[in-house]
Amino acid sequence: MEVVARRDARGRTVLPVVRASGQLAVRRTGEGAVHLVATAFGPLGGDDAEVRLVVEEGARLSVHSVAAAVVLPARGGSPPSRQLVRAEVAGVLHLTPEPTVVTARAVHVAELHAELGEGGELTATEQVLLGRAGEAPGRWTGTTRVVVSGRPVLHTTVGLGPGTPAWLPPVAPRAYVSTVRIGEPRAAVQTGVDAVRLPLPGGWVGTAWAAELHEAVARLAGVTRERDLEVAR
Amino acid sequence: MPPDHNLDDYVDPYDPGHRHGGPLRVGLGGPVGSGKTALAAALCRTLGAEYDLAVVTNDIYTTEDADFLRRNAVLPDDRIEAVQTGCCPHTAIRDDITANLDAVELLESRHPGLELVLVESGGDNLTASFSYGLVDVQVFVVDVAGGDKVPRKGGPGVTASDLLVVNKTDLAPLVGADLGVMRRDADAVRGGKPTLLISLREDPAATEVAAWVRGEVRARALQSTS
Amino acid sequence: MTAALLTLADSRLPAGGHTHSGGVEQAIAAELLTDPASLALFLRRRLTTSGAVAAGLAAAACRAVDDTDVVAALAALDAEADARTPAPALRAASRQQGRGLVRVGGRAWPHPAWAALPVQPHHPLALGVAAAAGGLAPRDAAAAAAYLSVSGPATAAQRLLAMDPITVAAVTARLGPEVDAVAAAAVDGLPAAADPLLDLLAEVHTVRTDRFFAS
Repeated sequence: MEVVARRDARGRTVLPVVRASGQLAVRRTGEGAVHLVATAFGPLGGDDAEVRLVVEEGARLSVHSVAAAVVLPARGGSPPSRQLVRAEVAGVLHLTPEPTVVTARAVHVAELHAELGEGGELTATEQVLLGRAGEAPGRWTGTTRVVVSGRPVLHTTVGLGPGTPAWLPPVAPRAYVSTVRIGEPRAAVQTGVDAVRLPLPGGWVGTAWAAELHEAVARLAGVTRERDLEVAR
Repeated sequence: MPPDHNLDDYVDPYDPGHRHGGPLRVGLGGPVGSGKTALAAALCRTLGAEYDLAVVTNDIYTTEDADFLRRNAVLPDDRIEAVQTGCCPHTAIRDDITANLDAVELLESRHPGLELVLVESGGDNLTASFSYGLVDVQVFVVDVAGGDKVPRKGGPGVTASDLLVVNKTDLAPLVGADLGVMRRDADAVRGGKPTLLISLREDPAATEVAAWVRGEVRARALQSTS
Repeated sequence: MTAALLTLADSRLPAGGHTHSGGVEQAIAAELLTDPASLALFLRRRLTTSGAVAAGLAAAACRAVDDTDVVAALAALDAEADARTPAPALRAASRQQGRGLVRVGGRAWPHPAWAALPVQPHHPLALGVAAAAGGLAPRDAAAAAAYLSVSGPATAAQRLLAMDPITVAAVTARLGPEVDAVAAAAVDGLPAAADPLLDLLAEVHTVRTDRFFAS
């Protein structure tokens, strides 16, 4: 799947490339906005999706999805499903898909590789729930790598669910949310109940976890609402 | 001699004998409650006008002594560094002095004209002493209230410190301690090194200890210029 | 060359490690760590995240010593270490320990690569250079990093909870196969395994005034 956002002569964002294949479809839903639509139930174990997003200088692109992605295991031994997002951002990218629900026995690997140019802006959110209501948790591994002007500013891999190395009692949450924000002054550290916001050059990364998704979302909001700037320590 | 065993390789920039210039580093050690922090505050008050000085504290709870010094020694915040000792105050001054060296070097870089750094250990027992990789001279502070047998019991702090201070002499009659015995026992184990019996309550300026420190600063200055 | 590795991993090497608890002090305060069983879980959590990251960086730094542009290679790794350590308190702890290791390592194993390190490098970078300077291989550097990610915190727990030292030694020793596995897996890449819990604990800890440990 590929979307290219470009600023036209009148300063509006146009999308000269909107291409999809496999189990993902893309719908234009506004100026510089697209929604991802799953064409089938899933993703299923073994599915491999690659999303390429290019936001040229002066352009804005918002990427949403129409519904939560429910990751299901394939029959038999389930290989992981993968989703790789590669973003090249000289303009403004908002990547705010609906939650990913990883059902029992499913294994999902999500990767975001974002390369930002000078002045590039990024807001990327991730919301994960392990297992549907009353169901055993699946396994999710998410890697985020953000490079700004050639310098890595964030590179983390978080593993959730049985079999991931650090998902251990007493802190083994079912719900996890994170937001990376680049394009504003370096934020101060904020801590809360099972939530933390950390400064990045030109922004911040916030993370929260809980038993339920709505709790995790509220906890993250609690530490990322204030836009206080970092004081020198 | 193989090159690896050339002693030149082992020249220690932190060894006082090889550390050229820089402030005199004075260790203040001794058991809990003997008056280390009170002595550090007294020295800051008495010597603060004469010397460019700073203090490193090693309190078990990081900032308690540092806060005391801020209140009592009129020392600006940027001249006090507190280090955490990982529940092991004597390790931090003797076996692994990294955190203290970092603090001393930070103060030295912040105040290039620094002449005197007091490194106050966290309260420990009679066996704790400073590594000479960290300090140039060390003062061990005990008190009369701990009983007049403390000097006789010895331990490296009592026997090997460059100056032994017996504090709280004003309490001697109250606790039944014999100052004469303490003086005699200390002299017997200290091989001629000085011992001062003082009362910070009666002499809040710590006059005699300050005079000893002045002598050490002068001696170091002479050593550095020779 | 084993002796150099033993020296590097020895808790008595005066590099300042004893003043860092690796999150243990705050985990105890948060009542996440109370006994040997929860200590074992906490150490495993630390080993497989920050331990794996440190092992990868240490191995890469050890290898970087042979790079034609050592300064640039180590600077790039230092940036990768920052990207994998977004919590300011953990960065500070890593750089503080890096500085301490440079101080003793530079004296113990003189080598031109020490001068190629950034000022106050991340600890795994100093460890990698120490390993190279001591004639060790990247795998050894990874092993030392993985081991140190649990040995210091284990000692901190022992001190703070007055745990039986023999039990703590057993807990640490039984993690041995996992320490080896983490080192082996990290040696050819730069793992980025993160544990947001450790970030949170570190940031809550660093603003406390009643702490015994620097981190």
